[in-house]
Amino acid sequence: MGYFDQKEPPRREHRLQACIADGGTFSEVANRRMRCCLPDGERTFAQGNICLLLPALGIMNTIPDSVVLMHSAIGCGSSAHAGNAGVRAGNNARWGVLKDGTWLSTALTESDVICGGEGKLSAAIIEADKRFQPAVIFVVAGCVPGIIGDDIDGVSEGVQSQVAARILPVHCEGFKTKIWATSYDAVYHAIGRTLLKDAAPRAAKSSNARPVVNLFNVSSMGRPDEVELKRLLELLGLEVNIFPVFAEPAKMAQITQADLSVSTCPTHDDYLLRYLQETCGVPYILKHMPIGIANTGLWLRDVAAFFGLQEKAAAIIAREETELAAALAELTPAFAGKKVFLSAGEFRALATALLMGELGFEISGIRAFHHDEFAAPEYQKLDQAKSKDFPLNIANCQVFEEANLLKRTQPDVFLGHMNGNGTAAKLGITTSVIYNVGLQYVGYKGAYELARRLYRQLRNPGFNRNISKWTVLPYKQQWYGQYPFSHIKAAGGEVDG
Amino acid sequence: MANLTERPRHTCALGGAIATASALPGTIPVLHAPPGCASNTTWTQAGGCGLQLGGYCGGLSMPGTNMQEREVVFGGSERLQELIKNAQTVMEGDLYFVLTSCVAEVIGDDIGAIVKPFQDEGIPVIYAETGGFKGNSYTGYDLTLQSLWENFIPAAAERVPEKVNLWGIPPFFDAFWRGNLEGLRQLLRRLGLTVNTFFTAEDTLAGIREAGSASLNILVSDGYGTGAAELSRQKHGIPYVVSPLPIGPAASDEFLRSVGAALGLDRQRVETVIGEENRRYYRYLDTFVDCYNDMDLQRYAAVAGDANYAPAVTRFLADDLGWLPEVVAVSDVLTEEQERAIRQRLEKLSSGLRPKVYFTPDTSEIRRCVKEHWTTEAGAKYANKLTPAFVVGSSLERELAKDLQAGHLSVSFPVSNRAILDRGYTGYRGGLRLIEDLIGVIAVNR
Repeated sequence: MGYFDQKEPPRREHRLQACIADGGTFSEVANRRMRCCLPDGERTFAQGNICLLLPALGIMNTIPDSVVLMHSAIGCGSSAHAGNAGVRAGNNARWGVLKDGTWLSTALTESDVICGGEGKLSAAIIEADKRFQPAVIFVVAGCVPGIIGDDIDGVSEGVQSQVAARILPVHCEGFKTKIWATSYDAVYHAIGRTLLKDAAPRAAKSSNARPVVNLFNVSSMGRPDEVELKRLLELLGLEVNIFPVFAEPAKMAQITQADLSVSTCPTHDDYLLRYLQETCGVPYILKHMPIGIANTGLWLRDVAAFFGLQEKAAAIIAREETELAAALAELTPAFAGKKVFLSAGEFRALATALLMGELGFEISGIRAFHHDEFAAPEYQKLDQAKSKDFPLNIANCQVFEEANLLKRTQPDVFLGHMNGNGTAAKLGITTSVIYNVGLQYVGYKGAYELARRLYRQLRNPGFNRNISKWTVLPYKQQWYGQYPFSHIKAAGGEVDG
Repeated sequence: MANLTERPRHTCALGGAIATASALPGTIPVLHAPPGCASNTTWTQAGGCGLQLGGYCGGLSMPGTNMQEREVVFGGSERLQELIKNAQTVMEGDLYFVLTSCVAEVIGDDIGAIVKPFQDEGIPVIYAETGGFKGNSYTGYDLTLQSLWENFIPAAAERVPEKVNLWGIPPFFDAFWRGNLEGLRQLLRRLGLTVNTFFTAEDTLAGIREAGSASLNILVSDGYGTGAAELSRQKHGIPYVVSPLPIGPAASDEFLRSVGAALGLDRQRVETVIGEENRRYYRYLDTFVDCYNDMDLQRYAAVAGDANYAPAVTRFLADDLGWLPEVVAVSDVLTEEQERAIRQRLEKLSSGLRPKVYFTPDTSEIRRCVKEHWTTEAGAKYANKLTPAFVVGSSLERELAKDLQAGHLSVSFPVSNRAILDRGYTGYRGGLRLIEDLIGVIAVNR
């Protein structure tokens, strides 16, 4: 049986041996092929972080004509109040309408925990269908049903015939995986098992039709980034079908008819891309992330090569790079010799580090949320590009390790994820958010816009400098003197000091 | 309980507890929870709390056990114990506040037994059982305060006559928490009282520890923190008085009188303060009189908000500002008794207005109720429509405001479209702030 025949997707610890705890110098960690955490306990001290529900909601809340029904206590999914800003902006950017997402909760109570919540869930599905008349209802399990044994697949199957909407059960029990990137698999799994299942076989195309590529965006890119990649692919003469964010459910099955699937981040998409190839015969490219000047070229070249358009790509890339270099000329002198520290999802952190190198920054440290096999080529690129060694930390957030590293490395600029810039800011470091769907990062335009933001942010770093004089971080002085990775239990027990 | 809640205007008990504990001075919340509870709360705060999140040790800085299947199967006690122990070498805290999640409670870890050895060593660790399914963020606020009264604040040998504790304003989930607490403290100080407010920049853990010597607990909420008030009455023998959230002169007059009566203060002293505050308030309005009248700034209003804000804003609009609140939607799920208390407050508005009151947490239902009330025959040449209109609610009422072509101001969770720092709406000064904000919306394109 394939993965998609199971109710739940496998967790990435098992499928990809992904891990979340390691630390050392870049060369050392990269060269020992990243064998890192013990399977059971990864740190002797840890801070709270993220579970797979958060990024999964980031996709689901964008789907037009859908509702997200959380089956859990009332808090699970309240992060949608933050995600809603992106949904509103995304709707506005695509259709000119400011529209809120719709998320619902069965709000399980103590008595539901004791008596079971399946009855409540089936009634809630029926009510959601009646009240909102959506095309799709995502039925999402949080931790509680996972423990008390509520079967969201069974309930969904049981009421499917009574509702007009298609029900998509999605497994987001936070205690089941440490690797929150499993969330992408969870959503893709649900879509694959329902909306893609009955897709017609791939039809033969007339020879003069434009080739169609699926471009994947799990909400790590905002509309301006989509527009940039679409622009580049269209210059090659390709037609672009963006999936899954903001994709209408009725049109989702179109991805089974494409000529090629292209990922923008291997961490996100391998699970669905393999499925599309195996079941629908859609080949895929899953290699580079189009963040950074060289990376964007590599990404575009791979796509072009698939269609035999290498020469066209070479011409586009040459023109774009010349134009970009001219535009960057007035900005890059401000970056020369400045040290930068980056923290984000593994692939994004590495790709952005390459871009920072291209802009003239020196890398003083990198933190990646997790590690898996996909990033190996990025490590190689960075290994060749770097001028000196620097600390590398694999950490599912774990801000205490970051605070320690920042005190040691004293970077001029910190690039951190959403809700991950506060520590650097309170240390007085200039920050630039490495991921925010309102901003542009991807392709040539993204490289320019990131440079433009950094130029502005470095011109007056007053806000963070002032804050740093009057706020303190919640760590003991003695912690800053300790080895930053001393709480990591590494495979084999060794952490080089 | 309904089978589904739409776009809940709350997070869970744990989320409320996290926000409350992280707002205490020098406190390190310690989560016995799966990994996502920290970020879910953090993102919720970023999304709905007036751009406020974190603090000394909030957000993703809070220690956590990040429970996985292993803990679910074998129990999480060892992991929590190791976490608290190692936190002593990393985190600088004056109080470690262990908070439990759904998962911790379902598997039944005995937190009391885990923290006891640390307490015996003199390490300041307390805990609250805040499993998400126990209730919403406001329940979590109450449970956290209850734990403070139960485990942190000793019973005092003597009462200090004019010392009071004030609560009922949940940190973060009332986006104006600091300003609101400070506004009322400033007012109570005018009566000569010493006020402990737990969560403002002036408060300290040492001061909170002495809360047991107060003569009165003042709860400015019909719904939030009642359990803590009851516990403190029983365990510490401190009586409490309940007041609605006082916004503007009418409610503040009543608030001061009720506190004065509960403490047996000299009535003249109270009336003197009330007189001075009203004079000050109307002195400010004096210079606004011409524009208010010339610009015809009176509005019909729809109010949607939690159990604190919905009645408090309605009363201010009706009885102080002279607007016309037509529909009030209370977006909390309340007990019958709590609903009755709110209804009664809205039935005795001095303006004589009797707005329609709905109790529903569902945004689309609020929108439907208000629109239904607002609908007049379309196309008629002479139609006494409810215009001009204004919607005071949460950010989720923006679509309703668009329906009514009305102005809109977010005051109740979620407040996603405003940055709130020290702004507060309580007391007489708070009323002035609210007028500034309401009229600012109307005049924005002037």
